[in-house]
Amino acid sequence: MSSTDTDNADGAPATDELRNSLVEGLTGELHDGVVASHLLPGRDLWVRVTADAWETAGRVSRDLLGCSYFCYLSVIDWLPSPFGRSMDSSVDNLLEGVTAKEPEPMTHGVAGGDTRFQLIARLYDVHRHVGVNLKADVPDDTLTMATWTKLFGGANWHEREAYEMFGITFAGHPSLRKLYLPGDFEGYPLRKDFPLLSRMVKPWPGIVDVEGMPGVADDEGGE
Amino acid sequence: MTAISERQQRAYIASQAADMRVNVELETEGMTLNIGPQHPATHGTLRIIVKLDGEQVVAADPVPGYMHRGYEKLTEVRTFPQVNTLINRIDWLGSFANEVPFILAAEQLMEVEAPPRAQWIRTLLFELSRIANVTLFLGDMAVQLGAVTPVFYAFRDREYVLNLIESATGGRFHPNFDRIGGLKDDLPKGWIAETKQVMVKVNAFCDELEALLLGNEIFNVRTRGIGVIPPEVALSYGLSGANLRASGVDWDHRRDTQVGLVYDKLDWKVWTHPDGDSFARYWVRLQEVREAAKMVIQLCDGLPSGPIMAKVPRIIKVPEGEAWVATENPLGEMGYYVVSKGDLVPFRVKIRSASFNNISIVPWLLRGVYVPDVITILASLYFILGDIDR
Amino acid sequence: MGLVESGKLPKPLTKLLNISRKYSMWVYQWGLACCAIEMGAAFGSPRYDVMRLGVIPFPASPRQADLVVVSGTVTDKMAPAIRRLYEQMPDPKYVISMGSCANCGGPYWDSYSVTKGVDQIIPVDVYVPGCPPRPEALLEGIVLLQEMVANEDMAAKWKGEPLVVN
Repeated sequence: MSSTDTDNADGAPATDELRNSLVEGLTGELHDGVVASHLLPGRDLWVRVTADAWETAGRVSRDLLGCSYFCYLSVIDWLPSPFGRSMDSSVDNLLEGVTAKEPEPMTHGVAGGDTRFQLIARLYDVHRHVGVNLKADVPDDTLTMATWTKLFGGANWHEREAYEMFGITFAGHPSLRKLYLPGDFEGYPLRKDFPLLSRMVKPWPGIVDVEGMPGVADDEGGE
Repeated sequence: MTAISERQQRAYIASQAADMRVNVELETEGMTLNIGPQHPATHGTLRIIVKLDGEQVVAADPVPGYMHRGYEKLTEVRTFPQVNTLINRIDWLGSFANEVPFILAAEQLMEVEAPPRAQWIRTLLFELSRIANVTLFLGDMAVQLGAVTPVFYAFRDREYVLNLIESATGGRFHPNFDRIGGLKDDLPKGWIAETKQVMVKVNAFCDELEALLLGNEIFNVRTRGIGVIPPEVALSYGLSGANLRASGVDWDHRRDTQVGLVYDKLDWKVWTHPDGDSFARYWVRLQEVREAAKMVIQLCDGLPSGPIMAKVPRIIKVPEGEAWVATENPLGEMGYYVVSKGDLVPFRVKIRSASFNNISIVPWLLRGVYVPDVITILASLYFILGDIDR
Repeated sequence: MGLVESGKLPKPLTKLLNISRKYSMWVYQWGLACCAIEMGAAFGSPRYDVMRLGVIPFPASPRQADLVVVSGTVTDKMAPAIRRLYEQMPDPKYVISMGSCANCGGPYWDSYSVTKGVDQIIPVDVYVPGCPPRPEALLEGIVLLQEMVANEDMAAKWKGEPLVVN
């Protein structure tokens, strides 16, 4: 259920009472809703909840744990990009018969994950100066999550942005429509499989002046 | 949370009662007015569609996105130092302040700490960019209300601060001076003495504005009681910075979160105001400029000597992990959530910019407000389009 | 004027009209992003005063402007508005593209929502490079434009290709 790592590395406190109490508060209310948690003492706290428990987690954090400040809500797409730069690509253009490479296997970050998209939101308590990063796996088949607009007014715009950038719908949102992009824009830009066409049509113009990307053990030749 | 103060309640009820009287007398048809995207009062390309009933706003819908440049996608194809160049341009007035949370997040992931001298200089430049940013606000809000003179003073006095930043970093704004592990260069000779002189000028500017504006009858009538934001609403919308402190919430990242800048070694205070109206927002920012000038002088006096760059490899590869760092930027709380996969490029950077949340309250705030007050409220909320649209 | 259309304008008259035009421009500043601040410093601050060049800022509307300075990133969402602004200006009109975002897309050349240069939408006379260009650089751009106007052939400009609105 929940596992907390403690870290004695750089003089940080071995146990973090305040953040532990946040985890316990959440687990106490959500029980099986809390899937995993990760605590860096003195630094930060991540808690992953199930998709069904997303709205309850927000409500519990706001009412019970005092985290009434809505910082942000966004999405992480864990699919490694078939187009983007990575350690072994020497140039990042796909001209002349070079095909996009197969994406590497998907790995997730802090507090784990199972699906491609993960919601991440941050709530903060301005009096006790402690916050919690809430993560939730978005179900792959429906790409729908519950909305937080009834809990936090600020979630309105953040969910609209998540909808237009990633394609995640929020059930119960008053007006889920495009926020940033022009009306006739097609596609969901922040998804990893959305290519940046300018980089595909012609190579980066600066490539003629720049030294080649250094190898792994090479310390000469900078960026 | 504190309850809405009596005074705020009475002001709100009085304004609603006044509106009731007018609405009974006249039969008018609603009108949809489009403010922007090119408009002198919208600090850039923000479009607000307001539905009017006579002179009163019934509903307001801001349409951002006219400056949306796709930052979060671009960070996925740029190396960490290249991202640093790009993010300078999010809040384009206080530009050094944009780099700091990102660099601190990357340093947190690399487990590298900048040497003390670098931390002090970072704080110095951070406060200087706050002064450069907020002095423009002080002049700009005045010009939105019709007082044309202060904005020329603001531009003139900003020039001194921009000169300082330019002589240290090479760029008037967009300095691109912060590096993972420290700074690019040390300060030039004679910079400290000149900074102290410029702070005297900044204080003189603040005194001038206070004498000109804060006691002015027209300014008071146009800003007191206008755009009152209760603290609970402010927190639920994620308002931050001076907007939140003007509603009475005593929260400042500089004092409450220790992230690698040296605010705990300085003697300064956090200013709040209980009213939550446009006047309060202006007043809090004016005091913050004075406070920043005070901090800059203390930073100049206490600057330690030493190296300005920690030992980092030439090619920056940030180890795997996720980090969140937020700082008290001139506009509010700006934070970066950096997801790294041990690569030269970040995997995902979520940029939490202050003005995005600050403007998301506009639909709620502009209901029942008169058209001239719309301009006052927008000016007092103080947003930068690059910060909203990223 | 009939003389202009038929190309029979005498040279001294052309020169006089060109000089009077180059020293009486009304500049409409289309300030979009960071370059707008430098443009504001060039136009509004007492240090980089632009009025000494004979160029007055802040016209009441684009229909009264001779010169437009497009400063800042042009996004695809904003592009129709810029087009409409250009069409509202009366002839003869000039465009200065300020900053690398307006010149060619700048640091956002690979973004999905940025127009790679304002010259994809409207014709540009002078490009001022920089990110952002210093106010002095913008003033030099204006001076270059004035030299261009001084040597302009009015008849050729009058008979130029009409802009097709599609």
